[in-house]
Amino acid sequence: MADRRRINGPPGATIPPIYENGDASLLKKKQVRTRPADEARKTYLKTGVTPSASGSAYLEVEIPGQEGVSGLKLSCTVHGPRSLPRSSPFSPHIILSTHVKFAPFATKQRRGYLRDPTERDLGVHLEAALRGAIIADRWPKSGVDIIVSIIEGDQDRERSRSQGDEAWDLMNVLSGCITVASAALADAGIDCVDTVAGGVAALVRDSADNGKPRIVIDPMPSEHDKIDAACCIAYLPSRDEITNLWFKGDMPDGDMSTYFDLVQEGIAASKQAGLVLVNGLREAVE
Amino acid sequence: MASTQHVLLSPAELAYLHSSLSQTPPIRPDGRTATQFRPLVAETGILPGTNGSARICFADGTEAIVGVKAEVEATGRQEEEGDEEGEGGSGNGNGNGSDWVEMSVEIPGVRDDDSGTAFLAAMLSEAVVADGGLVGRLRINGRFHWKLYLDILLISPPLSYPLPLLSLTTHLALLATRLPRLKSEGDEDPFFDDDWAAATYLYPRGEKRTRRPPVTLLVMAVGKNIIFDPSKEELAVADVTLAVSVGEESKPDSEKQKRGRRLKLVAVRTVDPPSRLTPPGVPNAVNAAYGAGGRQKQTGPRPVEPEAVEGVWRAPRGGAKPVVMAALVQKTLEAGGVADEVLDALDGVDLG
Repeated sequence: MADRRRINGPPGATIPPIYENGDASLLKKKQVRTRPADEARKTYLKTGVTPSASGSAYLEVEIPGQEGVSGLKLSCTVHGPRSLPRSSPFSPHIILSTHVKFAPFATKQRRGYLRDPTERDLGVHLEAALRGAIIADRWPKSGVDIIVSIIEGDQDRERSRSQGDEAWDLMNVLSGCITVASAALADAGIDCVDTVAGGVAALVRDSADNGKPRIVIDPMPSEHDKIDAACCIAYLPSRDEITNLWFKGDMPDGDMSTYFDLVQEGIAASKQAGLVLVNGLREAVE
Repeated sequence: MASTQHVLLSPAELAYLHSSLSQTPPIRPDGRTATQFRPLVAETGILPGTNGSARICFADGTEAIVGVKAEVEATGRQEEEGDEEGEGGSGNGNGNGSDWVEMSVEIPGVRDDDSGTAFLAAMLSEAVVADGGLVGRLRINGRFHWKLYLDILLISPPLSYPLPLLSLTTHLALLATRLPRLKSEGDEDPFFDDDWAAATYLYPRGEKRTRRPPVTLLVMAVGKNIIFDPSKEELAVADVTLAVSVGEESKPDSEKQKRGRRLKLVAVRTVDPPSRLTPPGVPNAVNAAYGAGGRQKQTGPRPVEPEAVEGVWRAPRGGAKPVVMAALVQKTLEAGGVADEVLDALDGVDLG
């Protein structure tokens, strides 16, 4: 029976009214993409940041210079190769275990300390991307742990949660994870067939070009009105091979050629990330 | 997932299997053709307590049950705003639907927090949600929506990678799902018809059927061959494995009126094949038991690829060429291809 004696407030949560200030210049303008469609954001990569780990790397993506907007910041540590415990069965290959974890403060909504299903899912993607690159049979009976922590995700403080869609952010996070883990593996001196790098391409629609779909690489979900489809690719440049492919979306007219274009652009994005990776490693060697 | 799927095959057996699967046409251990699915038994409406349910049993003994439960949930304020925005911008607001469908996968013998299970659940639910039409149909009015809980239970032990089985069962369960008929109008509190016979299908059938839930198919490449619905042993020699989710969109004004089926790609993921974890064979040339001398001192870096010797198994290394990946997707989606065939076969299931 409901409480009839008191005047109760509304059952749901309420928010205080916010009145629009007449001054339009104070309103935040919607971010628009200023760089060309085939150019990724600038990326900073440094290896050997964690002395206690056998290999480590740090990756940061350029922020667009607006207040309250943060870019992706990732840190990766590689522990191993080290021998497996005596109790574990014989393995002819190195046993790879990948952990991807958002810091509790990395996204708008706080993450718990336990890994949730999306983080586990990203871990499996990362494992698939790296397993193709590592020459696993050079370390029998050993294991390596790759731990990627997302210190800060792509986010814009001014935008409400409903405006961004986290599902698309995950693709950017995964591509960053692949690149940074590859740098950390190289820093740890684990033999790989090539440095694997991650890249994202998306099919977006903007009201600026009358809702006509176009393909951009390294999309920021906050910069576009709508993302139709996106594809994240882990690519080995010198072998021209894909180790991990993740595509999802609603293609406009069931047209296969758009999908193939999207994959091609994803490869182009991975190549750009690969250049950053190679330069970062070269700097570390010199 | 790959690390938990150990196949007890020796390098010699793996090499034999790989060479027989790379022949044209490929010779599969169970005698199927490259595009043939395992025979299956399917039924729907087996659980009266659910909104929709299905059971599929594959001939190799794997069996899955899916139950769909729907609950009315208040639409959050932010989501509501987002929905309106989505509709204004594009016509189908699938921006915020991801938390309107909750999926759980239970596989016996696997821990609840296993990453492979999380990967399977994410793959199945992203396909269901990416097909934007579903979210629109779950909307009751501006303030309320249906929340779907899809619970997938694998009853048998996972004898093969269970993705195709779970996906087909989910597809049938969603097709059989019915929601009570809405009696109230507009934005008032929803009030439903309590006659179950009047309940409407979530995916309407008949002449004006628009969409169907997507199916996720497992495709693998061995050598130059593309093989569908691989068994566990076949996966152990795969060069590359893809999970391709295919949705259907039938447009009445299309030129393909006679077939009436337009397939569209909804999601693609690479699945880490267990072949990368198989033990390599040792060629006689370097095997001390066959009189090979001690190793010569090597100078310089070791070669990435040891020389391939005929009949000696080597775990695949590196990834797959983009051309191969494209061919796998193309082959799945082509008209009259496997996806078409599977959807035709599922049409034959009596939905009760």
